[in-house]
Amino acid sequence: MNNLQLNDLERDLKELVVRTLKLEGIEPGDIDSNEPLFNTGLGLDSIDALELGVAIRKTYGTKIETITDEVKAHFATIHSLAKFIQAQRKD
Amino acid sequence: MTGRTALFRPCAIIPSRNHWRALPSIVEALRALDLAVFIIDDGSDEPAASALAAFSQADLGGGAVHRFTVNQGKGGAVIQAFHMALAGGYTHALQVDADGQHDLAALPKLLDRARRHPDALVTGVPVYDRSVPLGRAIGRWVTHIWVWIETLSFQIRDSMCGFRVYPLAAVAALLAEEGVPGRRMDFDTEIMVRLFLRGTPISDLSVSVIYPPDNTSNFDLWRDNLRITWMHTRLVFHMLANLPRVLRHRPDRLPADGAQTHWAWLAERGTGWGLRFCFACYRLLGRTGCRAVLAPIVLYFYLTGREQRQASRQFLIRAFRAKNPQERPGFLDGYRHFMSFAGRALDTFIGWTGQMAPETIQPGKVDDLQDAVADPYGALIIISHLGNADLSRALLDDATRDRLAILVHTHHAANYNKVLQEFRAAAAVNTIQVTELGPEIAVSLKERVDRGTWVVIAGDRTPVISRNRVVTTSFLGEPAPLSIGPYLLAALLDCPVYTLFCLREGDRYRLYFEKFADRIDLPRRNREEVLQAHAQRFAMRLEEYALRDPYQWYNFFDFWAPSHDAD
Repeated sequence: MNNLQLNDLERDLKELVVRTLKLEGIEPGDIDSNEPLFNTGLGLDSIDALELGVAIRKTYGTKIETITDEVKAHFATIHSLAKFIQAQRKD
Repeated sequence: MTGRTALFRPCAIIPSRNHWRALPSIVEALRALDLAVFIIDDGSDEPAASALAAFSQADLGGGAVHRFTVNQGKGGAVIQAFHMALAGGYTHALQVDADGQHDLAALPKLLDRARRHPDALVTGVPVYDRSVPLGRAIGRWVTHIWVWIETLSFQIRDSMCGFRVYPLAAVAALLAEEGVPGRRMDFDTEIMVRLFLRGTPISDLSVSVIYPPDNTSNFDLWRDNLRITWMHTRLVFHMLANLPRVLRHRPDRLPADGAQTHWAWLAERGTGWGLRFCFACYRLLGRTGCRAVLAPIVLYFYLTGREQRQASRQFLIRAFRAKNPQERPGFLDGYRHFMSFAGRALDTFIGWTGQMAPETIQPGKVDDLQDAVADPYGALIIISHLGNADLSRALLDDATRDRLAILVHTHHAANYNKVLQEFRAAAAVNTIQVTELGPEIAVSLKERVDRGTWVVIAGDRTPVISRNRVVTTSFLGEPAPLSIGPYLLAALLDCPVYTLFCLREGDRYRLYFEKFADRIDLPRRNREEVLQAHAQRFAMRLEEYALRDPYQWYNFFDFWAPSHDAD
């Protein structure tokens, strides 16, 4: 049950990333849940992280004050991001 | 010689003239800290004399009572205590007034600070409540201003508080080499200024001060004020006569417990006496008179503020060259620049207090302002430290003014608003404290813009919102780093962007409010280029207005330094 929810969340997040960051030539399905989003992998940068943070705040209500190193660690992959959002929701 | 290892042997000294009622509790507090106590009876009458003499039977931890049968003045008494402390092998002397106005709870803090800075004079800075009489408050401010002039520095926040820890080695050298002529109410200030001029750093701590209701003050209004005036005259001549040495020995500012700007400190007192004093000056003298009073003070700061003077020159050289390749700024142009800055501070203050006539601010280029006012949706407004953007609020109607939300760096915000509110609640606007732009603040600003707020951000300083986020632009013909914060924020807010300049022209101000962009879009592919292009457009607009009157440029730091992190 929990895993199913996490899978759904990961799928939604892939769509959110592509839509928010206007990634061209990439479909949500192309993104691997464990692929690095930043630098290598998808090659996102700190401005992307900010835009993504805003979108996540709006969509899921996840509070993110500033993009700290800790937050960046949560943003590493779609999988870690989904777990982060899920953990924040439970509180 | 024992060397300069961390030898710290403090004792306490209490000069007293006819004060003895509070003494038992003071001595008790000092003994609780295991301090030897030296009490100097400065020619007290009965019954104080007997009460003070009785302390020689009490436990003074190796200290003593000394009586002058003839009154010597506070300075004479304290100097006697210094000699006794030095003879006893003490390294530091904690001075406490005998009338009980000092908050004894602050003793450990003062001593701890002295232990950490054994070369410094550690002084309490009184925090007064509103009960302090206005006449006394103005007197204190006159002294503050004199001390700034005498020391060519703002480092001494208060020179009159007798609650302090003296480093005795520096005191002994001062007494041996030049002495301290002021022996009465002028003593506390004079010894501090003289120690400072010899290179003793000053460290200060805020302490509360109690005015006991039944306090009998030994302050003689006319005679002591005359003495104090004479002391300041003496110190100014002393400072000027020893100028090369004084400048060579200028002590470094010690790290404070918290960062503070000059304005923040003025406000911190809660009562804003400094501003009230300025206000009284302005009422009495008007703008021209105030500028005349300020002129010599500004000259001092022009002569001694090397960093700001160089920054001014760097800017003026480029601005003059842009207008006429042959022209170079001279010494007086720099002074004029500094005076313009003082005039700006004055205007801001006049504006705050509601003394500025609304017609002082005239519309310049404001067609876009009507559109913005009519638009129920909010906007982002980019301002700068050219001219006086602060004052433009006077031209806005109340409803529009209420739409403003000014982004300010966190540690500047609280005090600024506090002072503003005290003088004119209506002039106070929403400020939002931001250190760094994160998702949380971006979302809350976006919600406000949706409801009609105009978010105001400075485009010519880096710290707010965009730490480390700068692009290189060309400004006055040379590469200068500019913040990308405003454009990044504009993209996140998805709203129209305007620039606002308010420049002094003669005895009026003129407002320029122009559309900068309908929306800012940051395509992923060439985001850096787009951000750079927006910053460059702002740089050009800034340059255009700066060249109209270069003296209204108020960024006194190296604007072209690779990455300026101005405060």
